[in-house]
Amino acid sequence: MANSYAILIAVLLFPGGLFALALGLTLKGADRRVAARLQGRVGPPLTQPFFDIVKLGFKRTMVPDTASETVFLAAPLVGTASMLLAVALIPIAGVYNPDPQIGNLLVLLYLLAIPGVALMIAGSASGSPYGAIGFSREMALMLAYEGPIVLVVIAVALRTGLAEGHFPTFSLAEIVHYQQAHGAFVLDPVMWPAAAAFAFFYPANLGIVPFDIPEAETEVLEGPLLEYSGPALALFKIMSALKAVVVLSLGVALFMPLPLTGGVGLAAWVGQQLVLVLIGVTAVRVSRGRMRIDQAFVFFLKWPLLLSAASLAVAAYYTAGGAL
Amino acid sequence: MNFLSLFARNLRRGPYTEPFPFGPPSPTPKRLRGRIAFDAATCEGCLLCEKLCPSGAIKFTRTPEGMTFDCWHPTCVFCGTCEFYCPTKAIHQTNDWHLAHFQSEKFGMTEHGLIPNLVCADCGGKGLNTVPNTAKVRPPLSAEEVVQLRARCPKCRNKFLKSRGKKP
Amino acid sequence: MTVLARLKNLAARSPWLYRINAGSCNGCDVELATTALIPRYDVERLGIQYCGSPRHADIVLITGPLTKHVLEAATRIYAEIPDPKVTVAVGVCPISGGIYRESYAVCAPIDQYFPVDVNIPGCPPRPPAIIEGVAKALEIWRQRL
Ligand code: SF4
Ligand code: SF4
Ligand code: SF4
Repeated sequence: MANSYAILIAVLLFPGGLFALALGLTLKGADRRVAARLQGRVGPPLTQPFFDIVKLGFKRTMVPDTASETVFLAAPLVGTASMLLAVALIPIAGVYNPDPQIGNLLVLLYLLAIPGVALMIAGSASGSPYGAIGFSREMALMLAYEGPIVLVVIAVALRTGLAEGHFPTFSLAEIVHYQQAHGAFVLDPVMWPAAAAFAFFYPANLGIVPFDIPEAETEVLEGPLLEYSGPALALFKIMSALKAVVVLSLGVALFMPLPLTGGVGLAAWVGQQLVLVLIGVTAVRVSRGRMRIDQAFVFFLKWPLLLSAASLAVAAYYTAGGAL
Repeated sequence: MNFLSLFARNLRRGPYTEPFPFGPPSPTPKRLRGRIAFDAATCEGCLLCEKLCPSGAIKFTRTPEGMTFDCWHPTCVFCGTCEFYCPTKAIHQTNDWHLAHFQSEKFGMTEHGLIPNLVCADCGGKGLNTVPNTAKVRPPLSAEEVVQLRARCPKCRNKFLKSRGKKP
Repeated sequence: MTVLARLKNLAARSPWLYRINAGSCNGCDVELATTALIPRYDVERLGIQYCGSPRHADIVLITGPLTKHVLEAATRIYAEIPDPKVTVAVGVCPISGGIYRESYAVCAPIDQYFPVDVNIPGCPPRPPAIIEGVAKALEIWRQRL
């Protein structure tokens, strides 16, 4: 029983739920503020995403006549719930270890796909042509980026598992412990292709320029989100904030956990995420234009796939060779 | 790597943003065509501006007190035609752009002026206290004569000018 | 202050703008784009975001004299915007008809069809004037929440 309370706390308070939400929104605020600075503007206050969420809470939710109401309103709930669970699945080096009962890396991969699916369902349920275009774009993009990320995860699992002398491990806690003991994977040339492939994955998953094609505001009027208003839209905003935390902390856990504990560890973890956002999201977002969906599709089937396949091969060869 | 140097410059230099609306706006260009200002004391009453205004923003009305001028800013397109053709520049455009207003103030957004009536110094009849049109009068009128001319009704102004022409 | 009032104060700092072009000559729209995009007039300071969908909008900016042709579409889009909302007429066209006043082809002034709250005269109004008008609209938006 105590165990289930711990899980509940992990999902709703820390590191999931409130903590992750606050972190995600602050990251978004920092992103917007720094983007404004890079463009020579003042930018919104750091807490602007919080204001947006509160504001949306005061608005009315409208359901279009052409939409199927239940699906339309359930989609954001499903997406947000999946992300709440996903945050609780990722360990914070030296601070938090997820209960192995909730799931492992493979479950996390499935959960990561759910927001995309929720967006697709939302887009098609809204009955709007723009939503439908967003739906097809989201699907194409997902098909393109899901392959590489699976290979990346397998490469990391293989590397850790074989180095520890057993079968590939899909326990994130174990991966993090291994790196804390033997040095982070970003410093290990064998894992560089995997890290690079992951770097391509995360703007695509978070829907950030240059891969914000499904939600392109200027082309398809925010695609699947077009018909959403009020609290339902707020849920989608919350979902994407949580997703940012999930993907970033997954990256941190897979490639760069620090051998720290306690408050310092937590602060360092937050700092890592902030740095990742500012370099990987803000700078890219401000300096690049949006790709076309066909360009992005070909791009993902070329570079990240190649990189991740290479990383898998290298990791397997190196670790197996080293173990032999 | 052009964008990196841009980033560095923007970060170093700080934002370009004006403080407005939190602070005072930056200086407005002098020749900005903004709010209309009307000076009843120098108007000739020729009604050119009313005729030429493309959006019909200007309206002169005869009232018991004289002739009123009204320019309704919510329909003025700030083209400057009125000022361009006004012989005395009694109507001119200021560079004031603070025109945004609540809906309740919509019909108060006017520039108002009154050209008062006068009693003719010669015949005692009614006239308008407008500036006399002296551009084509030869030889040019002295300042004193202009004041005398102005104190008369249109008919007596004509008489005044004719009698002046015969004098020399 | 109650919690609700406090939340409303927070919410008032996040107005999202949506533009309806009701047959404008594009002059006003260019100025709106300028206001939105140029660092000099950074509207994001006020928490403002331009949004692509009427369903996300809080403050509606209407430009143009509402031509007969666009009347039905504009009314439909206006109805799509969830309450509470604030309506702003940008340029003299929507306020009175401006240069197109009394034309057979326009339905101006738009306050016959939409409950306008703030007017920003100008043909087109300059960006600081638009910001001033939006700041006025924010006052109304705060009360209306
Ligand atoms: S500026 Fe143009 S529109 Fe305005 S009052 Fe003068 S002539 Fe009329
Ligand atoms: S304002 Fe100028 S143009 Fe208009 S009536 Fe007076 S003198 Fe004539
Ligand atoms: S107010 Fe002037 S600039 Fe704006 S739409 Fe009308 S005519 Fe064009």
